[in-house]
Amino acid sequence: MDGPLKELEKLRASTENSTKGKIPSAESSLDALLQSLYEVKSRIAAGTVTEDTFALLSQTVDAKKKEIDEKQKEAYNAIARLGKALDKRFTQPLPTYDPLFTSHAAKEALDRTIALHFLRTGQFSTAETFIEESGVEITSELRGQFVELHRIMMALRRQDVGPALEWSRKNRSFLRSRSSPLEFYLHRSQYIRLLLSSDPSNPAPAISYANAALRSFYPEHELEFKRLMGCLVYLPKQKLERSSYVDLASPSLHTDLEPLFAKEYCASLGMSRQVPLRVVGDIGGGGALARIEKARTVMKEKKSEWSQSGELPVCCSSDIEIPLPPENRYHSIFACPVSKDQSTEQNPPMMMTCGHVITKDSLQKLSKVNGRVKCPYCPTESMQGNAVRVYF
Amino acid sequence: MSTKKVNIDGVMLFEQPFVRVPYENYRKVFRASQRNIEREFGNIQTGSNELQKRTKSNEVNLEDAAKAVDGMIARVENLKRKLSDLQENNGKPTLDVTHERIQHLALIEALPTTNCPDFSRWADTRLDRWLVDWMLRMGREKTARKLVQERGIETLVDIDLFMDIHRIERALFRHSCTEAIAWCSENKTALRKIRSTLEFELRLQEYIELSRDRRTQEAITYARRYLIPWQETHLEQITQAMALLAVQPSTTCGQYKRLYDESRWTSLIQAFRLAIYSLNSLPTEPLLHLALYAGLASLKLPACYDLTHNVDCPVCDPNISILGKEVPFSHHANSTIVCYLSGKIMDEDNMPMAFPNGYVYSTEALEEMAAKNNGKVICPRSGHVCDFTALKKVFIS
Repeated sequence: MDGPLKELEKLRASTENSTKGKIPSAESSLDALLQSLYEVKSRIAAGTVTEDTFALLSQTVDAKKKEIDEKQKEAYNAIARLGKALDKRFTQPLPTYDPLFTSHAAKEALDRTIALHFLRTGQFSTAETFIEESGVEITSELRGQFVELHRIMMALRRQDVGPALEWSRKNRSFLRSRSSPLEFYLHRSQYIRLLLSSDPSNPAPAISYANAALRSFYPEHELEFKRLMGCLVYLPKQKLERSSYVDLASPSLHTDLEPLFAKEYCASLGMSRQVPLRVVGDIGGGGALARIEKARTVMKEKKSEWSQSGELPVCCSSDIEIPLPPENRYHSIFACPVSKDQSTEQNPPMMMTCGHVITKDSLQKLSKVNGRVKCPYCPTESMQGNAVRVYF
Repeated sequence: MSTKKVNIDGVMLFEQPFVRVPYENYRKVFRASQRNIEREFGNIQTGSNELQKRTKSNEVNLEDAAKAVDGMIARVENLKRKLSDLQENNGKPTLDVTHERIQHLALIEALPTTNCPDFSRWADTRLDRWLVDWMLRMGREKTARKLVQERGIETLVDIDLFMDIHRIERALFRHSCTEAIAWCSENKTALRKIRSTLEFELRLQEYIELSRDRRTQEAITYARRYLIPWQETHLEQITQAMALLAVQPSTTCGQYKRLYDESRWTSLIQAFRLAIYSLNSLPTEPLLHLALYAGLASLKLPACYDLTHNVDCPVCDPNISILGKEVPFSHHANSTIVCYLSGKIMDEDNMPMAFPNGYVYSTEALEEMAAKNNGKVICPRSGHVCDFTALKKVFIS
């Protein structure tokens, strides 16, 4: 954005009433004109006007008009240059699409999504306004759950693990079923805080806390438990930071609790770990639309059909595969290395006895009449009938 | 979280209107100042020339001259005040907004990766901006204002522009073209540049209304004044319009019935919206819709709509999945195998392993399970139990 910024500064300079610059500002031109007018006025009063006085005035008016015009022209050019700088920075206009999400069901779904977004991100008063204005229905139970989430998250931010621990105790069996370390990590955070906050180092409160709270986690977190005890030798904090226990002194040990808690809390309600609207928006606004547009242009040039729905098209030069970071991979995708087809229920992935996986269709094509298949990726030959369907 | 470079071009694709709107606003302020200068100076120049001429022919008395000079002084003072008003109340604030927005975009250009708190904050604000744009287009003004106030993003959104749009649209809805025509004359050059025929359509509508009321004489005068200037490009429509005078509003004749039809007002609202969006580089669809469309199309898989759905997947969200129905499926030429247990992507460092019945999980997750269960592993989906050693390595190429 350097280009536009520079032009903007120039435009600013030309519009501000500065005395710098070759052309005087409109204000000073007008002031000069006023002065001439007042002079003429006093001459009239004194009776010393001549024909020349008015001729001169006429000239002054014209001259000042010219000055102001020039000043305006200078500003106009600066505006035009800023416009050009913007044109250069933004070469592509936003695409035009047929109206999206117009069906009743889609409208309602979007309203709900947005209402839930406000609740999920703790913007409760905005959520209230929106719910009222849009008439979308969100049960008070659901709202209450978000209020609780927000309350606990705020407490965590204040380094108060109490509310989160209380929730974890209540949901212990749920957390255990997911083998979630949340409760242990909450205690760990508290333990480390006790350990490092006492100065000069007095580990007694931390040790008694560990005795009361951490002991029961020994079987599941044996290794970590031993490290928590072991780090006692390396107090105070400065020493700990130079030891192999340095990770225990890191602030992320405490700050990571917030996302972890949100993830578990939302999972207990059957909701995703990330804020869904943000995730979809970030992907769409982070290159996906640009990519789709690029392919759309290529397809238009080739005069191929483009449809707004269906599957994103594949053609040799404009294969629209939008790269996704690992944290946005939610489902397994199996693309057959032989046929490049994505596996489906009708054409499932099959593992041959050598462990290589191809789709069922490819497997059939590769089989000989006697049912033997030579794996395309290793020397192994196996029977088609021995291939196992795999579930990712 | 992965470290990913910010896709600047992809981000900027959405941001054109963000800087265009204040830029266009500033041009408007400039045009207003230009108009004022022309008007006032025109008068002052005529005044001073007149004075000079009259003194030459000795027609002037001092009293008149003093009065004329006083008049000129008042005009100059007036112009000075107007210009400084425009600059202080419109020009400067608009440039400040432009500056702030360009800076806001410069911020994202300077970020190294998407994996930093600054990016996260920026993206939060972006979503807020999209939501405000959406609210304003959908007529949820109260929420828009609330959101703006709560987030303190007054200078990053265009409430005033949309309020203007609503005001003019409401007028059209009440069957009044006045406001829209005024807007057209304010933006004459820009509209001509995009070859918009909005003004003609509005004028035609006013004419149709006169004809509907059977005020034929007025209609003819109106047509002479406002329709004829368009004859070069719209002769056919003008001819048809003139014939309309001979036709009662209750007509059943197709082409005249269409002219009298109420639906013309709806089309006018559409045409107006298209024109004002286009002048401000705003897309016809809300920015939020475009972002959702592209985002969903990147994520959507057949799996989102069958039994294997994943709570963490946004497209699997019960509400968002309804929106997902309107977008295409994503396309993938390469396999990505995500572990059902840990959610991690399996690769050569974390190989997939299959139970004898074909269910696949990541080595890491299975090892962890085996460590806790004396070397036994349990398939969470099929309930199958076996020794870790009975698992088979799977090769995905």
